[in-house]
Amino acid sequence: MKQALAFLLSVVAAVGWAQAPAQPALDYDLLIKGGHVIDPRNGIDAVRDVAVKDGRVAAVASSLDASKALKTVDASGLYVTPGLVDIHVHVYPGPKTNDYAGGDSSIYPDGFTLRSCVTTVTDAGSSGWRNFDDFKSRIVDQAKTRVTAFLNIVGNGMGSGPIEQNLADMEMQPTADMALKHKGLIVGIKSAHFNGPEWTPYEKAVEVGRLAKIPVMVDFGGNVKAGRTLDDLFGKYFRPGDIYTHMYGGVRGEQDPETKGPSKAMIDGRKRGIIFDVGHGGTSFRWSTAMPLMKAGFLPDSISTDLHTTSMNAGMKDMLNVMGKFMAAGLSLRDVIAKSTWNPAREIQLEELGNLSVGSPGDIAVLRVEKGKFGFVDPLGGRMDSSQRLSCEITLRDGKVVYDLNGLTAERWDTLTSGARGGDPRWDNTRGRRR
Amino acid sequence: MTCALVFALLATTVTPRAQTQEFDLLIKNGHVIDAKNGVNAVTDVAVAGGKIARVAANIDPKLARRVVDASGLYVVPGLIDMHAHVFYGTERDAYLSNGESAVPPDSHSFRAGQTTLVDVGGAGWRNFGQFKEQVIDRARTRVLSFINIVGSGMKGGPVEQNLADMDARLTAMRIKQHPGVIVGIKVAHYSGPEWDPVDRAVAAGKEMNVPVMIDFGGHTPPLGLDDLLLKHLRPGDILTHTYAHVAGRIPIVDDNGKVRPYVWEARKRGVIFDAGHGGGSFLFRQAVPATKEGFFPDVISTDLHTGSMNSGMKDILNTMSKFLNLGMPLNDVIKANTAKAADVIKRPDLGHIGVGAEADIAVLNLRKGKFGFVDIAGGKLLGDQKLECELTVRAGQVVWDLNGIAAPMWTDLPRK
Repeated sequence: MKQALAFLLSVVAAVGWAQAPAQPALDYDLLIKGGHVIDPRNGIDAVRDVAVKDGRVAAVASSLDASKALKTVDASGLYVTPGLVDIHVHVYPGPKTNDYAGGDSSIYPDGFTLRSCVTTVTDAGSSGWRNFDDFKSRIVDQAKTRVTAFLNIVGNGMGSGPIEQNLADMEMQPTADMALKHKGLIVGIKSAHFNGPEWTPYEKAVEVGRLAKIPVMVDFGGNVKAGRTLDDLFGKYFRPGDIYTHMYGGVRGEQDPETKGPSKAMIDGRKRGIIFDVGHGGTSFRWSTAMPLMKAGFLPDSISTDLHTTSMNAGMKDMLNVMGKFMAAGLSLRDVIAKSTWNPAREIQLEELGNLSVGSPGDIAVLRVEKGKFGFVDPLGGRMDSSQRLSCEITLRDGKVVYDLNGLTAERWDTLTSGARGGDPRWDNTRGRRR
Repeated sequence: MTCALVFALLATTVTPRAQTQEFDLLIKNGHVIDAKNGVNAVTDVAVAGGKIARVAANIDPKLARRVVDASGLYVVPGLIDMHAHVFYGTERDAYLSNGESAVPPDSHSFRAGQTTLVDVGGAGWRNFGQFKEQVIDRARTRVLSFINIVGSGMKGGPVEQNLADMDARLTAMRIKQHPGVIVGIKVAHYSGPEWDPVDRAVAAGKEMNVPVMIDFGGHTPPLGLDDLLLKHLRPGDILTHTYAHVAGRIPIVDDNGKVRPYVWEARKRGVIFDAGHGGGSFLFRQAVPATKEGFFPDVISTDLHTGSMNSGMKDILNTMSKFLNLGMPLNDVIKANTAKAADVIKRPDLGHIGVGAEADIAVLNLRKGKFGFVDIAGGKLLGDQKLECELTVRAGQVVWDLNGIAAPMWTDLPRK
């Protein structure tokens, strides 16, 4: 079928597209009209038209002229936001067993991201400096999704069992060298799952963060058993801008034992400028932790999934489901969008992402707020009901449609002549797996 | 200490329990569609020990540890996808045979109500062992295989054009080693003028009593579709990509918008027609006139791979919904991917929820509203109904629960 398809497409390219009348150069490749734009970076929360050209945002205004666009989409009743940014995923799959670093605990990004309006993900430490090149060539360079990474302080990355506990494999110089070599792709350093009493992993991760001028993200591992405290992590080791993930995990001292609200360490940490990230995952978001913390005003800075094989079919599901939980908990759509776009983009210092400023990459989400009866489950198996959820209508990556749930950008089938195809390579990239 | 323990044990044993909870899971008040067992009504389904334990109206909820209210939903056997590509791996340029064009099964199956995926032709007799170890044995999804007539499997390029690597005898031997797991033989992508790939696959199929599935097209010069359907294939063999119009294959609908008479004749003689949507194989320009004439597919499969998953195909429920909106009755759509699919792959234990069957169940929501469905040419059909998966049960375990209908409220969980 591969050859046949290639042939078909070449025929279609010759017949279908060539038949289109020659057009003068247009200002926009794609114009999204009449949607409600939420762009927290630019303070926009209103109905606006958004146009892209040559892969970038070309204009955002109350009314843009459809005759200047190759293609116009009606987004009335829908929300148009920056492409979602999920800074905690595991997308380095491979043949190893029970392993995030080239193993079957990781998943391929494109099967989950684009259909959820996610355009950028950050792999949270699946690879270390020893296997980053393999991760880059097999996944980062192949995916339609924009894939960035927190490099693990462990050289072998997030291997199973003793690999992550090996203090001798936490080498600062090669980790920093790799991070500096891929500035903008490696956006941070990760430490995770460490169970010993030492502070070595955190000291080294932060030191590499200093050398490479990037943040660290910490999954605090077995801190309670090992005697390490959140207060020490935030007060003695973290810098402002470093990221504490699994903030609603509820097993590492996040909650005050009496009030069940945020512990003093969490409150003090926020005052110090520590960033708090959701990192839902298979076990790290409990309603019984999240609700009292949120009621006390302790909201996440960024919403993320911790996508991997054991979270993908459980309470987590996908980015929109996790965002739906925060709407169920009472956050406004605007806040939820901010925590899934501009906030995480700033956290990973990629400020050209997570916004719709003119000139930014054309990574755009077109979302629907569905009304009805929905439920959201946590890893303990408890449900929260909600009257709304988010669904993804269209995803644009670099100005091209990479997902279109209901064919809002498609032509009626009977308007296409035999052998012709809709879409146009200038704005349509829904077919095939490569960028 | 001993006394306390004895007392505790006594207390446990003597505490009167209202009734024995004989069921692990009870799905109540759903509309059950189980074509094989002739059930098409609102009734209850109970599961115990991973098997279907009872299907009856008004089963007492006190008898079950977990009760799901499926009012307004459809309860059907776990869906079977007859055409998927899940032999994923890290070999460069290996396409759908240990390559990165194939997808991991669990990433796509349960969220769409599928409990069985049939990989068609990823592996050949040479690398079936690797497929089994790497994917089949590790997946929670039940993964079955149509083994490729090419010994090296679907690796693309010249590998799939090598007649010398298409050996009926060795293919049959591999099937014999894995009865019920290798459930058929696949022929695909061959572009030469010979019938050998088809005929050798059929020979192996005859020897092992399994069907062959043909992805036909790309032949130079083209081979006759009529010859394939009426002469080379047996009743029970499968033409996939039914509604495709690709180079080197005659489409089933002619230039006057009519299904070719020999296609109808092939259906009468028992050839199976599979949708096999994929990234290049489903056109409304074919499907609309064909289905207007009543030519619906026998089975509705995805041809899932990385090139189709984010395009017009998306998943099996989106693909099934296309046929719903083309006028195929819901019962037939469900039957196609349950009882009929099980029949085609000769796995009569699957595709139904009779008592004693392994408890593979999908609970589906038939949503009403305004939906759009896109074909591989980027053409759109508007529709007013679409299937969504609420709950998937695999061997009695809940493996997907979209809205937590099998979950208690978080405030009702026991506090630690």
